[in-house]
Amino acid sequence: MPGERSSSVGAVWAILIKECRGEWRTRYGLNSALLFAVTTLTAVSFVVGRIGERTDILAALLWIVLMFAALASLAHTFVREVEGHTLTLLRMIASPTSIALGKLIFNLLFLGVLEAVTVPLFLVLMGGPPLHWARFLEVLGLGSLALAAAATLVGAVIAQTRGRGALFAAVSLPILLPVMAGAVSGTRGQWNGVPVDAELRLLAAYAAALLGMSLVLYDHLWED
Amino acid sequence: MILRILLFLWLAAGMVAGFTWAPVVPVLGNTTRVFYFHFPAAIVTTIAFGWSMVHSALYLARRDLGHDDHAAGAAELGLLFCIVATISGSLWARAMWGAYWNWDPRETSIFFLFLIYAAYLALRAAIDGTERRARLAAIYSCVAFVAVPFLIFVVPRIYFSLHPDPLLGQRGKPDIDPRIMLVATWMLAGVTALFVWLLSLRVRLGRIERARQEF
Amino acid sequence: MSAAVLPAPAVALASLSARELAHRYSPRRGLEPVSFEIEAPGVAAVTGPNGSGKSTLLRIVAGLLRPNRGACALRIGGREIERGARRLSVGLATPELSFYDEFTVGENLMFAAQTQGLADPRGRVRESLERVGLWVRVGDRADALSSGMRQRLRLAFALLHRPPVLLLDEPGSHLDEAGRLMVARVVREQGERGLVLIATNDERERTLAGRTIELRGRGLGDPD
Repeated sequence: MPGERSSSVGAVWAILIKECRGEWRTRYGLNSALLFAVTTLTAVSFVVGRIGERTDILAALLWIVLMFAALASLAHTFVREVEGHTLTLLRMIASPTSIALGKLIFNLLFLGVLEAVTVPLFLVLMGGPPLHWARFLEVLGLGSLALAAAATLVGAVIAQTRGRGALFAAVSLPILLPVMAGAVSGTRGQWNGVPVDAELRLLAAYAAALLGMSLVLYDHLWED
Repeated sequence: MILRILLFLWLAAGMVAGFTWAPVVPVLGNTTRVFYFHFPAAIVTTIAFGWSMVHSALYLARRDLGHDDHAAGAAELGLLFCIVATISGSLWARAMWGAYWNWDPRETSIFFLFLIYAAYLALRAAIDGTERRARLAAIYSCVAFVAVPFLIFVVPRIYFSLHPDPLLGQRGKPDIDPRIMLVATWMLAGVTALFVWLLSLRVRLGRIERARQEF
Repeated sequence: MSAAVLPAPAVALASLSARELAHRYSPRRGLEPVSFEIEAPGVAAVTGPNGSGKSTLLRIVAGLLRPNRGACALRIGGREIERGARRLSVGLATPELSFYDEFTVGENLMFAAQTQGLADPRGRVRESLERVGLWVRVGDRADALSSGMRQRLRLAFALLHRPPVLLLDEPGSHLDEAGRLMVARVVREQGERGLVLIATNDERERTLAGRTIELRGRGLGDPD
């Protein structure tokens, strides 16, 4: 009988697979997030029109759409466990750290799919100068990592409140402001052709700090 | 009781001295006097939020609900002093810079702190059960502990690099009249004592409420 | 088929002790102080009026709930098991335990077995489903089960990792006569080697137990 209490690769993997299969069968979270992103995007591009040269506004709009589409659905992984009363089952078979890490990786994949649809659509609808792909993907990747780390921890907390998802955006946003700042500035920088090293460092450091703190806090997530 | 009266007199003396005894800084004129409220409030805001974070971490480590009272009380009071600091700073900015709000780095950081602790208190209000509230709020506070240094030190440097350098640092010149410094320090001591007193009341209230629920 | 499926090395004897153990959710809800000492092999019934904290006690023993007051120690083979590791030694079947509706009975248990890192998960799933007489429904979705079958599935989940300690909360609820006999058989088998705690007020289930832990409650508003 394994005596460890923190996390094991097998457990994290099993939880990740379960999340993916559950999401594939219901498509509840992904559908709503994609719909949200596309709707917002359409509304923004319809209202604002093409502003190809204004890279500062473009970068801000892109991240606002991405962030709120993510916030509309990332807490879902935990809220669903609480509302379906399946959290007891989960807690009886895995450590809090395994559960949270499985969900974190799932959230990251989820963001990847969301971005794979939203970003090309954004570029088509809004225009903008050609992307500097390497830099852009770095900004996008690190931004998503920090976003997923924050959203997973806060999502697990928020799922235990009275309003469940209701507070999620309000409570996550202050935590996500550094991500927002770094990602918007980085996205604008790659469009303008200036180096974005400072932004990448900020995003990487923040993601690392959030992940480190998360690993300490996961153990305290569920106790009643 | 005597201590409370003493505190009242101390603060009153500081205010009177600020308006009558201490001189004004030439460029700032009468707006110098805002400093006596703004500076202590801003410092106490920082102390209060720091205190709240330390006790959040202590709660997670020791599970003593007294720490939760400290964390919650300090956050509530910190928010109060944060409002005082923001309003007084904003009035001064209107007089000196021409606008109430300029998004200069200091204003931005205090606004972020405000957001975080407003969210912290909103989160607390949404959780049922004493232990659960204490635990989840402490977790959030620890996450905020990661965010705060980024919001205050790192983000403004990167994000505002395109903005013109705002008129910052006019206040902190070394050749300030010692009387101004004395009144400011005097007020800081008084306001800090006020915070400590209010916090002790809040902590006692929390303890009494729990004891009452036992029976 | 009984002897072969029980925890093979019966040397790891379990013992459970509580000292002034209590938990309050709110002034009138929770578990009033209770002390007891039980050792394997054996079956103990936990009885008490509604709201006296029977389920709460089981959740504390299972390590899901951190009690406000007092201590509850679980020892396996003389070694104390800390709260975070109890799930490895404890099987819990409670009405609060739900399964993933979008998965079949077999998938739910496979997920549990894989997350727990059991060797031969497929064999374990089959073994525990056969023990509770649910193997014929292995391919049915969890939301297609009747409440009695759900109850059997909960029991199968608790038995899956062959835990030395079995915690059953109202195990006979929703079950037909055959189901109650099955529960009695499982309890008897487990009680020969390991430890069983049954939270119940049912007279027949109480007779399965060698001893009784009586909880005083004030849930229904008696004078003090």
